Amino acid sequence: MSEAPALATRGLVAGYERDLPIVRGIDLTIGKGELVAILGPNGAGKSTYVKAIAGTVPCFGGAIMLDGKDITAMPLHQRISAGLAFVPQTENIFASLSIGENLQLAADVLPKALRAARLEKMWAMFPDLASRPALRAGQLSGGQRQMLAVARALIVEPQVLILDEPSAGLSPKIVSSVFAMLQSINRSGVTILLVEQNVKAALAIADRGVILVEGQLRHEGNAAQLATDPLLAELYLGAQPEKASA
Amino acid sequence: MIAQMLMDGLIAGSMIGLGAIGITLTYSILRFANFAHGELVSWAAYFALSVSTALGTALPGLSASLGPFSFGWSLPLGLIAAMALTGLLALFADTLLFARLRARGASTIILVMAGFGAALTLRSLLEFIFTSKPMYFTSALQIARPLFAGARATPDQLLGLGLAVALVAAVHLILTRTAAGRAMRAVSENQALAGLAGIDVAKTIRLVWLFGASLAAVAGVMAGLLVQIRPYMGHDLLLPLFAAAILGGIGSVPGAMIAGLIVGLAEAACVNFIGAEWRAAVSFFILVAILLLRPQGLFGKAGA
Repeated sequence: MSEAPALATRGLVAGYERDLPIVRGIDLTIGKGELVAILGPNGAGKSTYVKAIAGTVPCFGGAIMLDGKDITAMPLHQRISAGLAFVPQTENIFASLSIGENLQLAADVLPKALRAARLEKMWAMFPDLASRPALRAGQLSGGQRQMLAVARALIVEPQVLILDEPSAGLSPKIVSSVFAMLQSINRSGVTILLVEQNVKAALAIADRGVILVEGQLRHEGNAAQLATDPLLAELYLGAQPEKASA
Repeated sequence: MIAQMLMDGLIAGSMIGLGAIGITLTYSILRFANFAHGELVSWAAYFALSVSTALGTALPGLSASLGPFSFGWSLPLGLIAAMALTGLLALFADTLLFARLRARGASTIILVMAGFGAALTLRSLLEFIFTSKPMYFTSALQIARPLFAGARATPDQLLGLGLAVALVAAVHLILTRTAAGRAMRAVSENQALAGLAGIDVAKTIRLVWLFGASLAAVAGVMAGLLVQIRPYMGHDLLLPLFAAAILGGIGSVPGAMIAGLIVGLAEAACVNFIGAEWRAAVSFFILVAILLLRPQGLFGKAGA
């Protein structure tokens, strides 16, 4: 295993229009096995930042390093083989395909010899999905969809798993089971980068919290300390972010 | 008389169904109605004619009739060559035109207009190269054989029908049981997510062009064998092809085939009960009715 961080961005500039970037020069380093929560008020650029890392939003400057390798210009479909998996907030499963087909098509990128074993591993990890592989994924509940989306991302055994608001639209009970699942995945050695509006829940499982404001990294720190930091409330309530500069 | 009408409808419908599968696949993935698809049907027939004629000239034994059929080995070999060449033609059209427009974020209407332009160009090229004089794969006459209840069909017609059924089953199995098929269905539903799942979307789109063009090639060769080869043969099939693709539900392969058979049967019934001059109106009537009553088609999903 290399000594390089699991994931790093250097001066990352990204967005939908070159003249109007949403992410404006973010430097962030995430160590191997870390669980980092990306926090910030609405419009801070959290989702755009992780989408740029995943490759679904264009980068206009800076670099993305995965395990020391520059993947900034790497095509979207190759990032998963490189070890980077992303679970979008919405439309994160193929609703017209069955549960089994969702997992099978994710396994199709693996060498043939590995596919059956990885599928078995996912079925064992998500017994609720394993009980009805032929069910159309569009018929699943919100929580089950999230499980399937995570299972689809995990089947390639990524080094880094990125999730964009996995708790969005879920009931509190389901949210706690999703977060428990993420914690368990992280303990198995997968580095996790988590964008989350549910600050309390995210910091409860994260090692570190990172706060973005207006497309820039405003503050980062230990998750437990950040949870009690008044700065967090100030930023979320929209109080003078410039006072909060660390 | 009714039995013969059914037989005629099934034979015409199988050709329409095969062409409609190509349309439904490209429509569901590229999100635009490719009006140049009919020209792929025509070009395929001329490709097959050119290759089979060349083979028959070079090796006369290949032109000797195969069993009860009106053609020799030169035609199946010509069909295989036509599938490959039509696939390449479709890829060429995509690279030169559609892919560039997609890359620029062109709207659907621009892509549709580009398809119209491509259709006109391809059709004019065919007329320029081969003239508009009808051509035939074979000059052999076939006698229709009695089948059931007074219905008759030639061996060529029965072969076409059997080939269409076999191809639909094969396409359905490819789409549901293979990695390439799953990739096509995934790209059809959500291209960005397909990319995140590790699917090479550009490669899958190329595969869909090849797939749709190959099926258009089979439809073109069947139409050429059972009727005649003309530069306008694909253009004349366009309305029935779209009627079948939309009636079956965009994206549904079995739906396109079943709808193709329905359109073919409706055309045959029209010829039988109303008059041959109304035949072309049947597809238009079906198209308008399905768009008004059930725009998602018989087997499609609402909103597709």
